Amino acid sequence: RMMDHYYNTLRDDLMYMTYLHEPGPRKPPRQIRLKYDPEDPYTKNRVNPPVGGSQVGRKPAPPTSWDNVVQLERIQIHTMVKEALSSRVNLLGPIMMLRALSGETQYGGGRHTSEGVQVVRGVKTVGGWIRPGLPVGAKVDLKGPKMYDFLGTLTEFVLPRLREFPGFVMPAPSAQHFTPSSVSGVISVGLPPEAMGLFPQIEVNLDAYPGTYGMHIHFITNAEGQGAQNKARALLSGLQVPF
Amino acid sequence: MSALPRCSSCRPRLPRPKHGLIRPRCLATEVSSGSVTIPAESTPTVGKVKIYDTIRTSVILNRSPFLTRPLSRFEQAFYAYQQRIQRALHNPFPYEFYFKQGSLLESKFNAEERRRERMAFGAPFGISESQEGSENKSQNAKESVAEALDREEEEKIPRRGEADRTNDVRSLERKGERNLYLLLLKKLDDRQVWRLPEGGLQKGEVLHESAERNLLTECGIRMDTWIVSRNPIGLYRSSTSNQVSPRHIFFYKAHILAGQVRPDGTNVLDYAWLTKEEMEDRLDKEYWLGLKDILSDN
Repeated sequence: RMMDHYYNTLRDDLMYMTYLHEPGPRKPPRQIRLKYDPEDPYTKNRVNPPVGGSQVGRKPAPPTSWDNVVQLERIQIHTMVKEALSSRVNLLGPIMMLRALSGETQYGGGRHTSEGVQVVRGVKTVGGWIRPGLPVGAKVDLKGPKMYDFLGTLTEFVLPRLREFPGFVMPAPSAQHFTPSSVSGVISVGLPPEAMGLFPQIEVNLDAYPGTYGMHIHFITNAEGQGAQNKARALLSGLQVPF
Repeated sequence: MSALPRCSSCRPRLPRPKHGLIRPRCLATEVSSGSVTIPAESTPTVGKVKIYDTIRTSVILNRSPFLTRPLSRFEQAFYAYQQRIQRALHNPFPYEFYFKQGSLLESKFNAEERRRERMAFGAPFGISESQEGSENKSQNAKESVAEALDREEEEKIPRRGEADRTNDVRSLERKGERNLYLLLLKKLDDRQVWRLPEGGLQKGEVLHESAERNLLTECGIRMDTWIVSRNPIGLYRSSTSNQVSPRHIFFYKAHILAGQVRPDGTNVLDYAWLTKEEMEDRLDKEYWLGLKDILSDN
């Protein structure tokens, strides 16, 4: 249903809303201090390393056209439980919760593209509480119609019933537009543990779970370049997520 | 009517305005700084306000679908096939986790599951009442109670409402799964023409503001509309014989959120909410060719 709404209405509207008129073709990027000469046939296609520091936020968005309108690619739900460090049994609750929310199991139904609920392990050693390889959380990826179903339950059941929920936080107007997060086209929001019991698929047997957990929800879109996160926010706003 | 009626089970909603600037609902023009347009030769006008007629703005007022699209036979067959595959191959469902033994919910679920199995795979599957015998008589009683409760709760609103049966083109509830667009029947030099809501520019006004003003002038103020963007979505250049200079018409897209059109009867005689195919019959060929690619196919 949300998918239909996107294709019927939102996609056209978002294309109009995010359109930036470019009167002519873009200038080719400045080439300074090239390490490899592009004229020399031996080094013609070698990648010249970027000069001048991190180039993360410096690229402008690709030219707006009908085939790169903002689209929701996948939703990732992620939970970290610190209690799992003391005993791995504590990780079962979040895994059950993610299984109920997503319905995804590894190779479920013969589909080899879904990876199911995955356990997140530590990456770095941080003094005193985590080492690489220790399982400390769980995450699951939602794509396609299931993703839109999850979004529907989120906006219809969970968010309206949260206590004193004013909407998700937006960055201030003075925020820089070239930070990695604003260039990525990914919106990350969090839900408190009380929200877990508001999902209808978990509410049915809330007492079967060992405890309630909050979660991070990452909405990953195909927008890129400067201003990508604003476009993603426009998309989510059209899908009824309050900001 | 104050709001579009919606079926509660399928309700795609309309996009909300991004940074809510509530524009006051009045017809006075707003003088803003930095006019975008090039003032061309102006025609003599009525009243104090100068209207530039060479550039006009027009609004494509759209009512988004509020029902999901009906599936074609191929799509239905495909989805049914995929469902059967999933049913046959899915990982085992954790019954004990979700349902307590002997509860009403469990019996309801079992009845629904049997019905679904029967629908998916045909007659031999899903029928187990006759095979299991008298132990299940109490379960059957429970299931029938649950089903009776269910039937009381669910009352679906029909997809085809009254507007569809009478084919009332002025109604906003007709054809819930399609995009509807507004056309106005206008009087133009002794002819009656179907056109989109249109109007000229005033001095000191930006394009999108003039679009909104023209829309409200032609269609009345008893509507809740939202123009999608500040930039126009299309341009139509006409060189009709009864105009002195060629006209440029910039199109803007808007959504109607609530309310209905009220024509004022002087220039605008009638209105209709039509799908893309129905519009083709009523519009002039040249105008239609310039407009048709902007409209959505659904």
